[in-house]
Amino acid sequence: MSAPRPRLAALAAAVGLVLADSSIVVLALPDIYRELDTSVAGVTWVLVSFNLVMALAAVPAAHLARRIGPGRAAAVGLAVFAGAGLACGLAAELSTLIAARCVQALGGAVAVTAVLELLPATTGSERRAVAVWAAAGATGAALGPAVGGMLTELVSWQSIFLIQAPLAIAAGVPVLAVARHEAATGIVASELRRTGNPHLLANLALALVSAAIAAALFLLVLLLIEGWRLTPIGAAVVVSAMPLAALLGARLGPEWGDSRARAAAGAILVAGGLGGLALLPSASVVLTLPPQLLVGIGLALVLSALTETALAGRASQAIHGGWTIASRHAGVAVGLIALTPLFTADIAEQRRDAIDAGTAVVLDSRVDPLLKLELSQRIDDRLEGERGRVPTISPAFEPLPTDPEDRAEVLQLRDELQDQLDRGATHAFSPSFGLGALLALLALVPIGLARRVEL
Amino acid sequence: MSAATNRGTLLVGVAIALSLALVGIYLAAGGSSYAPAQIQDPCEDRPWRDPEGLDELAEQFSFSALDGAACELGVSRETLARALATPESRERFTERYGIDDAELARAIRAGLVRAVDDAERAGALPPFVAGPLRETVRQIPLDQAIELIDDTRTLIDELQNFFGPAQGLLEQFLP
Repeated sequence: MSAPRPRLAALAAAVGLVLADSSIVVLALPDIYRELDTSVAGVTWVLVSFNLVMALAAVPAAHLARRIGPGRAAAVGLAVFAGAGLACGLAAELSTLIAARCVQALGGAVAVTAVLELLPATTGSERRAVAVWAAAGATGAALGPAVGGMLTELVSWQSIFLIQAPLAIAAGVPVLAVARHEAATGIVASELRRTGNPHLLANLALALVSAAIAAALFLLVLLLIEGWRLTPIGAAVVVSAMPLAALLGARLGPEWGDSRARAAAGAILVAGGLGGLALLPSASVVLTLPPQLLVGIGLALVLSALTETALAGRASQAIHGGWTIASRHAGVAVGLIALTPLFTADIAEQRRDAIDAGTAVVLDSRVDPLLKLELSQRIDDRLEGERGRVPTISPAFEPLPTDPEDRAEVLQLRDELQDQLDRGATHAFSPSFGLGALLALLALVPIGLARRVEL
Repeated sequence: MSAATNRGTLLVGVAIALSLALVGIYLAAGGSSYAPAQIQDPCEDRPWRDPEGLDELAEQFSFSALDGAACELGVSRETLARALATPESRERFTERYGIDDAELARAIRAGLVRAVDDAERAGALPPFVAGPLRETVRQIPLDQAIELIDDTRTLIDELQNFFGPAQGLLEQFLP
């Protein structure tokens, strides 16, 4: 068998890789949306399908890992994950991509829960195993969007999936030794003992908070790319504020209070950050940073506190780890399913209002009437070309008039029209961010109720 | 109370304070009103600017006509202005809203009548010009209205053609 340190790194990498997949594709969604000629609602299913299948498969996958042995289960899970990743990268249609994502989630669920059974033998204690497992998952999920954004812009959205195959196989190499050992000896690492009931309140709170965090991440990325027209790399840099803040939040361990207080503080910070995103006073990237800081610190606090609570004193770790995975991904899937229709309806309405407001600015201006008509025509052409997205309006104002006075007037018109579009795009996201904040606040109910039980 | 409990209470207090501060600052900075400007209902009267010349008068007349037609069709003036920019945009508009050319022409005719009313009310047209003009646009054949809306440039050109010969007469009455 491999040495403990590389093996620990490989197991943690496997968990990080799989859980990064719930968010890694977020920044690639606009590219997928355009390339596969689909709708916002349709492309959301690239994310929803993965999270939904993870939610449904996590607990059965944990039982499978205990039945066939965690080494074998992890090896099979990673192989399926890698193969399905290749299929995702080669998909030419949305339906193929979604189907491959479902298979990828199945493999991922088996691998992640099996790794939790393998970790104690490497770390030396169950407590440390849970800490490594939770930290690897949180790091993967937090880094996912930034890595996905970079790959999308530097290579292509397909590269996000294609690169996962060799990484999953590399992470699976140390696991193969355990699998061979299990096959040779017939020893299954964990006994098939009866497991306790899952911690309902902690898992419910996890689901609610995860739904809120999904809203923060998914909607913020869409706002940056589709609303404010940032490049995927630009958006990746901006949303990196959230994982960086999460690293800060991860330092607030048990010495900063019991798990109930940390969970409550985390949920409040997530709600406050989402509240800030719902009330952005202008279309400025800088203004997204304070809310992201709050969400990042909050998610690290609340996810670690609730995961520790859900697993504390419960056997087996894989089964209860499976319940936390199921809760988190169910929350993400439900959050996305609930928020997408609200968001798509809002953005269509706000886009219409913003374009009308911008056209009013053009019509009421003092530029030459025939130039107004020409601008109206070019604006309409831009809108048709953008297929329902918030358009970049400046090309509609090219070529600029040569007369300096007319030129200044037209430039002012362009800025005013762009301001109206920015207002519309930003305002369209407000109700969804607000709903996300409400979900985070709702998580305080199970956290509060658990006071007398145990949290 | 233990030190850990105290720190836990402090942590929750700090989280509440930070969250309220962020939301309060963003609200104070106008976060609740950062939205597109409201456009005017086309069925409501829009005050005319003081016309600086016949071009200006023709433009305000055509915008009043747009308001009137948009009110008839239940769309905004801005949507209709974009729709009438070219024959292609008009076709997209009629398909999207399920309107045929005859309905659109009727709406334009109603809009032209309203434009005459608005011009008269604003003092831009004297009653002895407004009366016959109103009758003329009421009688304007549908195909001619369609021709007008095929290209709004034509509408402005037609208006300029109309106001041009009457310039000497109108200048005595224009404000």
